[in-house]
Amino acid sequence: MLRFKGSNGELLLPRPAATLAGLSSLVQKLREVFRGAPKLSLVFLAMAILCAAFAPLIAPFSPVATNPTNILQPPSVFSNHMLGTDNQGRDILSRLIYGAQTSVKIGVVAVLLAATVGTLIALVSGVFRGWVDRLLMRITDMFLALPYLMVALTAVALLGPSIPNVILVIGLLRWMGFARVLRSEVLKLVEMDFVRLALAAGSSRSRIMLKHVFPNIINTLLVLATLEVGLAVIVEASLSFLGLGVPRPTPSWGSMLRDSQQYIYIAWWFPLIPGIAITLLVMSANLTGDWLRDRFDPTRRQL
Amino acid sequence: MSRYIVKRLIEGSITLWLITLAVFFILRLGGGNPVEYMLPPEASSADIEKLTQAYGFDKPLIHQYWIFNQKLLRGDLGDALSWDKRPTVRVVWDRVPATLQLTSAAMMFAVILGVTMGAIAAARPDSLFDRVGRVVAITGQSMPVFWVGLLLILLFSVYLGWLPSAGGIDRLGLKGIIMPALSLGFFLMASHMRIVRSTMLDVLESDYIKLVRAKGLPTRMVIWKHAFKNASIPVFTLFFVNFAALISGAVVTETIFAWPGIGRLLVDSLILRDYPTTQTVIFFAASFIVFINIVVDIMYAWLDPRIRME
Repeated sequence: MLRFKGSNGELLLPRPAATLAGLSSLVQKLREVFRGAPKLSLVFLAMAILCAAFAPLIAPFSPVATNPTNILQPPSVFSNHMLGTDNQGRDILSRLIYGAQTSVKIGVVAVLLAATVGTLIALVSGVFRGWVDRLLMRITDMFLALPYLMVALTAVALLGPSIPNVILVIGLLRWMGFARVLRSEVLKLVEMDFVRLALAAGSSRSRIMLKHVFPNIINTLLVLATLEVGLAVIVEASLSFLGLGVPRPTPSWGSMLRDSQQYIYIAWWFPLIPGIAITLLVMSANLTGDWLRDRFDPTRRQL
Repeated sequence: MSRYIVKRLIEGSITLWLITLAVFFILRLGGGNPVEYMLPPEASSADIEKLTQAYGFDKPLIHQYWIFNQKLLRGDLGDALSWDKRPTVRVVWDRVPATLQLTSAAMMFAVILGVTMGAIAAARPDSLFDRVGRVVAITGQSMPVFWVGLLLILLFSVYLGWLPSAGGIDRLGLKGIIMPALSLGFFLMASHMRIVRSTMLDVLESDYIKLVRAKGLPTRMVIWKHAFKNASIPVFTLFFVNFAALISGAVVTETIFAWPGIGRLLVDSLILRDYPTTQTVIFFAASFIVFINIVVDIMYAWLDPRIRME
């Protein structure tokens, strides 16, 4: 039996007004968070992540099963293969969906690796300063001067083309942006009173790095990471396009474009579709990064 | 000023030395004896032995690096395994002009078009030109170089039939450089557009521009004579960053358009497993980037005295 009265006698009625108010304040909060957000970009990023996570459920066909009787079918809404088929009769839409898996995985993990290395270098450099800083900055300069795509190609060729190796190579060749920008933030922070007070109070340097400086650079870190995802996706696509990235038959947008090169005179959709996917993903990541930067610090617009 | 130059030169040479270290270790990345992945799998153990000794891979790593540096000072980076077994330095040097042609054509296209379009867009913010320009800039910054190349081939070679899909200025003259330069420069053009537009907008807000405007100067003169110069400074600052990106872009562009530069040489050397050549290409490209960096820094310090003081 339902009880309509509480322990102190008041009626236990549902309170629609209160929940609605709660809901509307939630909506308001969400609206506040996403103010000025590039909505299409966020939607596309979400789509790419969903495709990456649930590729086997979404894709209508196997991304690797070939069908010699059905090669280079043009895209058509009425056929089974909405985006057409490639030179081996594989469904382009399915390969696109599985390719999102490759791009998202490599983009995210490689940037995580790069961000970790870059942040560590920035923290150590900015907090310890002196010769440690000078040495680390020379090393950063050296990495900046490396022609990174050439080095990445060579490294992947020697280590063997595979997804983990591609992640490793991109991560270890793209941390310099993090190190440089974050170091200058750290240098500003360590001059501030709260860090000096912490030092005077006897905090160790590693404690200052983690407890006082790091929380204050997270915003910049997030912005840099979002902007760097696009580049990591492009580098992966470039490696795969040159045949030294993700090994076949794993679907990757870059290697799809590689395959399409020979058929460019007879199958216009083949080079077009994977390129659109790469561009949209990179553009969404870039626009989201721009938006985050403006949200965190409007004075650095368009930097 | 001269102290600044000396400081930059010293920093530059340290960077260059670190690069030799990196280049030296790149070949050892695969672990084991590098000769094993230079030779075909069916090579006899006698051949492996011979080449290992010839390259000194049997010596301890430190010793190998010492020999590498000694040879480097004499300008010797080893002989190529392919390309008639000529010294790699010569093989690479022969390919440098083609890459320089391509990168400078791309740079020219990007700077001229990007800066002009950025300035026009800033002169009339939120006009149709500005809005279209912004979309072009944002898209351009998100398109991979090789896809721009494929799109250009699709449009100009397949659909319109105007331009050849393989480049090389010797065989085709200027017609052959159009598509490679466009596809390599497109990204740079987009970034120049964005940066010039935003600095131009800032400059147009500044007091001295308000003053010239108040003097009654026509808008065109204000923009092109007074604001433009200051708005172009960031283009200069970004030159170094852009140049490194350009070299990377050249690798894919040269591969698509069969352009005989060092980018294509690198890809070919990897396919042929000619790692001495790979090493030399990377060393050349890196030294070139360091050199450009130093020149740009010194010129920048000369232009802006505040930099020297730091």
